[in-house]
Amino acid sequence: MKKYAFYLILLLLAVAFPFYIDGYLLHVFLTIFIFMTMALSWDMMLRTGQLSFANAGFFGMGGYVSMVTVSSLEIDPLLSLIFAVVFAAAVAFILGLPVLKLRGIYFAIVTLALAHVFEVIAMNLEITGGSTGMVLPEAIFGGDMQLLYWLVLGMALLTIGISEFFARSRMHYAMHSIRNDELTAQASGINVSRTLIIVFVTSSALQGLAGAIYVQQYAFVLPESTFSLDYLLLPIAMALVGGTLSTAGPVVGAIFLGLISEYLRLIMPYGHLLIYGLVIAVIILFMPGGIYKPVRNIILNRILNLGGAS
Amino acid sequence: MKISPQRSKLYLLLLLIGIVILGFWSPRALIFGLQRGSLYALIALPLALVLGIMDILNLSHGELLTVGLYLGYVLAINLGLDPLSSIIPVFVALAIFGGVIYMIAIKRVLGGGHLNQLLLTFGISIVLIESVNIIWTSRPRNIHVDYAGQSVEIMGITTGSYEFLYIFAAVAVFLLLRLFLKKTKLGQAVFAVGQNPKGAKIVGINVDFVYLFVFALASGLMGLTASIMLPRVSIFPETGNPFALISFSLVAMAGMGSINGILFAGISLGLAEAAVNSIPGYGGWSDIVFFGVLIIVIMAKNL
Repeated sequence: MKKYAFYLILLLLAVAFPFYIDGYLLHVFLTIFIFMTMALSWDMMLRTGQLSFANAGFFGMGGYVSMVTVSSLEIDPLLSLIFAVVFAAAVAFILGLPVLKLRGIYFAIVTLALAHVFEVIAMNLEITGGSTGMVLPEAIFGGDMQLLYWLVLGMALLTIGISEFFARSRMHYAMHSIRNDELTAQASGINVSRTLIIVFVTSSALQGLAGAIYVQQYAFVLPESTFSLDYLLLPIAMALVGGTLSTAGPVVGAIFLGLISEYLRLIMPYGHLLIYGLVIAVIILFMPGGIYKPVRNIILNRILNLGGAS
Repeated sequence: MKISPQRSKLYLLLLLIGIVILGFWSPRALIFGLQRGSLYALIALPLALVLGIMDILNLSHGELLTVGLYLGYVLAINLGLDPLSSIIPVFVALAIFGGVIYMIAIKRVLGGGHLNQLLLTFGISIVLIESVNIIWTSRPRNIHVDYAGQSVEIMGITTGSYEFLYIFAAVAVFLLLRLFLKKTKLGQAVFAVGQNPKGAKIVGINVDFVYLFVFALASGLMGLTASIMLPRVSIFPETGNPFALISFSLVAMAGMGSINGILFAGISLGLAEAAVNSIPGYGGWSDIVFFGVLIIVIMAKNL
């Protein structure tokens, strides 16, 4: 019971945030929630044992779809988010049918290449503004930070909800047994390709949504910055730092690295991505489980004496 | 995943037909494609070597090229060394650099599964890009030497003469590597480890040393290529990125880890790119050729 009360307080705090803090900090948390969505959706795919590098691609695609629909159909930016999600999900479904038959390094390379294909397409089409990108006259909600914050928070909560659903339902067993031993999973009646498609489409749709909201926040797209390596690198670093294959890990990692990255940006405006690269390498080499579980155990055992560690 | 002899003959025939058609349609694209294709093959070779022998896909492959380019740049600017005469120092420096990376990081994930290997080399690649970014900033840099800018006329087509060096270097490196793998004791040990690491260990081969050697050699070869292409590219922290992706496509096309197929795959892709490039108005799409081929080839082989 204590646990749920704790989560409820956290949730209320997060919802009430805009009433207490100023513009800059709000912006920091907004960014953190967007990257949290990216980190969690990347982790979902990892739970099935597939390392995807396409998240930045779907992020950029969602951003572009949202921009194009707003500028050419002149619809409300909020409505364009739906287009972005549906488009990303549809592309993920169509591409996923063949691509998800690949495993290991093949899947990783093809997803890496796909992300670049999306960028090249955005750069060469006329409707997307080519290499100069596009600008909209107004940001989403007319630039209202509070509404935007709640929208982004809602997206992050939705992602956490989906992630928990994957972790608690029958999907959990399907995903984890595919990762551990695909042949056994198949033999015990798990529909491997259906499970993979569901997870891939879900995570890509979430990434498309994150990209669409992020782009609408600033009301402009540019091929290099919308498809930037940041949206691939940071989420991976966050999930790894927190601890992969769980909901809590990427969430904690996103908050932790998100706050640190703001500080780093202040003291090291140039090349702060270096730290993320180092973090990824060091975590893989020395602490493959991430920081969340060990830190949580220390807090639960030593400080609170609850003894509820696993 | 090795290509059978009959099929490789078929591929070779297709390539020859492609060359003839392209030669009639646009001789300029043919020459340009051959030059670029050799360069691509030269860059992809070390990746294939590491993948074939160590079974590791090195995502920091392109960044080794970037480091080599900057090293050549520093030697040229600070010591006045000509890019071509800096081949040996850059080769040695990069080989040592690769060896250090192997000892610090790669060695620890050799048995750790593809996921950790990919993520680790991805992390290394970011560290290298950003270190270069901090040291030299993101300003593009160029080295000018007179002989690299010259052009030559062949059958009425004017083309850069320096680029023919790519073809020569690619063929030379491939022949030397083959000779090394077949004729020397160390080369045979490398080959054996690539075939079966456990078996190699049992017959007394120092597998750990072979891995170190292969990674260092691959890094050194990247340094060699970097010195050769130095006068003809603009150097910035992300220079290596597109070449890394091209290398992935070549390796995928040649069959994972196959060294012989790389030259063939490189030239095919170089020609395909040059052909798309020569269609007026569609030059920007030529990047997609690689990724398209990469995706199609991987899909075709795995389905």
